[in-house]
Amino acid sequence: MESMGKVLVINYEKCTGCRLCELVCAVMHDGISNPTRSRIKVIKWEAEGLYIPMSCQQCEDAPCMNVCPVKAISRDEEFGRLVIDYDVCIGCRSCVAVCPFGAMSFNSIDKKVFKCDLCDGDPQCVRFCEVNAIEYVDADDVSLLKKKDAAERISIAGKEAAALAAQV
Amino acid sequence: MPLDRKIAYIDLTTGDIQTKPIPLDVRKKFLGGRGLDAYLLYNHTEKGCDPLGPKNTLMVSGGILTATCASATARTHIMAKSPLTGLLGSANMGGFFAPEMAWAGFHHLVIKGKAKHPVYIYIHNGEIEIRDARDIWGQSVTDSQWAIREDLGDQEVKSLVCGPAGENLVRFANVMTGIKNSGGRSGMGCVLGSKNLKAVAVRGTMDIKIARPKEALEYNKRFIDQIVSAKVNQTQGALGTPFIWGATNSWGGIRTRNFQYNQCEYADDIEPERIDEICEETMGKYHMTGCFGCQVHCRAQYKIPSGPYAGTYDEGPEYTSQGAFGGETDTPRAITVLTGNHLVNKFGMDNLETGSLISWAMELYELGIITSKETDGIDLKFGNDDAVIEMIDRICFRKGWLGDTLADGGIAASEKIGKNSFNYLIQVKGMSNLHSDERATPALALNSATGSRGSDHLRSRPAIDLYHLPEEVLRKIYSNPVPYDGPLSSEHTEYIGKPWQVFWQENCYMGVDCLGICKYHTTFLGATLPNFEDWSKVLYYNTGLEMTPEEIWDVAVRCNMIERLFNLREGLARDDLKKGDMLNHRYFDEPCRRGAIDVVGRKIDKKKFIQMIDEFYEHKGLDNNGVPKPETLKKLGLKNEPSHLV
Amino acid sequence: MTTEKEGLSTAESLRKTRTYGKFRCHNPTCMERIQPEKGKKTAKCPTCGMEYRVHWVNPNLPRIRGPVWDTNRKLAETKLKEMGVK
Repeated sequence: MESMGKVLVINYEKCTGCRLCELVCAVMHDGISNPTRSRIKVIKWEAEGLYIPMSCQQCEDAPCMNVCPVKAISRDEEFGRLVIDYDVCIGCRSCVAVCPFGAMSFNSIDKKVFKCDLCDGDPQCVRFCEVNAIEYVDADDVSLLKKKDAAERISIAGKEAAALAAQV
Repeated sequence: MPLDRKIAYIDLTTGDIQTKPIPLDVRKKFLGGRGLDAYLLYNHTEKGCDPLGPKNTLMVSGGILTATCASATARTHIMAKSPLTGLLGSANMGGFFAPEMAWAGFHHLVIKGKAKHPVYIYIHNGEIEIRDARDIWGQSVTDSQWAIREDLGDQEVKSLVCGPAGENLVRFANVMTGIKNSGGRSGMGCVLGSKNLKAVAVRGTMDIKIARPKEALEYNKRFIDQIVSAKVNQTQGALGTPFIWGATNSWGGIRTRNFQYNQCEYADDIEPERIDEICEETMGKYHMTGCFGCQVHCRAQYKIPSGPYAGTYDEGPEYTSQGAFGGETDTPRAITVLTGNHLVNKFGMDNLETGSLISWAMELYELGIITSKETDGIDLKFGNDDAVIEMIDRICFRKGWLGDTLADGGIAASEKIGKNSFNYLIQVKGMSNLHSDERATPALALNSATGSRGSDHLRSRPAIDLYHLPEEVLRKIYSNPVPYDGPLSSEHTEYIGKPWQVFWQENCYMGVDCLGICKYHTTFLGATLPNFEDWSKVLYYNTGLEMTPEEIWDVAVRCNMIERLFNLREGLARDDLKKGDMLNHRYFDEPCRRGAIDVVGRKIDKKKFIQMIDEFYEHKGLDNNGVPKPETLKKLGLKNEPSHLV
Repeated sequence: MTTEKEGLSTAESLRKTRTYGKFRCHNPTCMERIQPEKGKKTAKCPTCGMEYRVHWVNPNLPRIRGPVWDTNRKLAETKLKEMGVK
């Protein structure tokens, strides 16, 4: 399965804060437009122009799964995600309370907890984000991408330093 | 039915609040947004009412597609009788307000009366409350939004507000939301101020049903691909709207020194590329932001690099600020444009009107029509950056004789200043022209003269006329969805066929404004962007409303006619220089002095221009005086309407 | 998906008319397509002689940043003189 081991990677610097991801997430899952139903949420500091999309990290040692009193949350290896079995879930919201990222939400209209399910391997937030602030990549490549970014910054800093030295 | 949306009627004098559904037959005739607002304005505002009195009615709305799965439908529309022009007042802004209002349960608000003391309206999941705003009154555009969030204890609340300019009844005050999203032009913020209404705050978590979610989602992807693959939107996404100013100044279409020149020379410091550098230096590589659900991200983020406001965060500047505080006043310095932009955002004031009036005053000062006595000693010469910044503050707070005079708008100011000052005032229907110079482009000149809210580029400008598109491409665009077999010309200096292009654009822009879509997603700056045919599908998938492209066209024609009827009721007369469809004499008398070789020396031929207006009226179904013929009204189903209240 | 089977709208069909890597001369009677050399900062219109400063939005998307000011002013002044405009 090609989606095996793939993860969502968020590069918040690229996020323009448009929240289209929230809209398409809600429409994809619930067929309804309402960002409250979205699995992804852009947290904003508008006065500073800072936007950070927050979503489920599909943690390895997942607090939501550990805390669930009825074991309704389990790992689905096919998509590398944590899934909720709604036949078992009792709606106690313990998972909402314990998630360190606030990625588990509670829908007060349908009275259900909900979280990112990676759209069965085709995350719509990724598909619609034209600036690539959210990407769906192999877990192995995540640190490589970060290394590349950091290397680029070091290279630029090095050139600037050289230019400054030349001026002096 | 996914279209179970509501209007709220709010009377600020009595505190009475009523909510009603929007009937389907009204939807089919006026869709929503600006079109439905026009219908409501006509019905709810008495003829000749005082724009600053309690009887003026303020409409706030989202489009029919707002908060559906259609991209870039974040536009908020605001309408009332204008305190600047005494005619139609209409403003449209992006941001995040309208969708939030929809999720809070309302697509349209009709606000009447005047509160006894400053208040704000709070709408939360179907509930409407009028709250005390005495502590918020006097605060800047952003501070008042943050104060409302504190007051309500909810950081997700979105507000539209008037700033200090609206409170001080500056006739061209904006309604604002977010950092810089502005419902600019025609003084809608002044109407809020006159009603003691500081803000409308909304917060919603209610569902908006989508008629065909899967199709809507897939079609949205297709729509977005079409939008972001356009060169114009790639450029817009990199440089923001300043790119328009750059291109326009390059060929010689930027009003400079009021109207003396048509190009701001040696403007390298305020060219889009320079402004982009400053944004990158102060905010980093990724410094573009967007409105709700939009992938064009045309809005830049910056911090003012130096001067008294150094380090202050703001957004923009849009190309209008480059024109207002760079070109018109001949102060092509980035620091002046960025600071001026920040001040008008903070005060909630129309940058176009402000810059235009300051540059007009500068010309009057240089001509000796006003002197240092009227300016309180300010040396109001072109090129004086400090004077520009000082005047922005003086207008907002009505400081000094000149600040107070200009705050009442150009026509009132010209009557107070007297002499021949009116001859130098570049306006139509009492609203200053934007910073563009249309002496070489008859189609754009016609659009400026006939815009329903006064001189304007967002009501009917055929901007793609400048691209020299082959005639067959023009034919494809302009004979759809209704046939047109009259002449069309690729030459943008020509007069042939332009009235039809302006008429077509007028309906195209009314279409997007009814749907709630941003103009950067239609045939405005790009020739290959979606319009009527594409909208028909978006509308169907999202709302279930089945309308052909022709039917959407008909709605647009109808809504434009209602705006015309409103203006006629309030005194529009074809050749009236203050209330008509006519340009300042300088368009016809003074040739262009700069720009591309073949722009130099051009001016508008008055005889041909009048013929264009005749032809434009004919397309609209108006008689020679600009009044609709009875058969036109009958055809549009307006014969007995507007007559009853929704 | 039903939408994918549907034909193209006029706007979509015009997409193929987009030309990347070129821009049109800003002079109204000229409007010649100019293809600037990749990465170069100026371009001269071969037809009418207007000279432009070029900005590259991305490596494939050039745009006119503005005219070369001195050339631009000289051309304008000459034209005004020819036309007898004061």
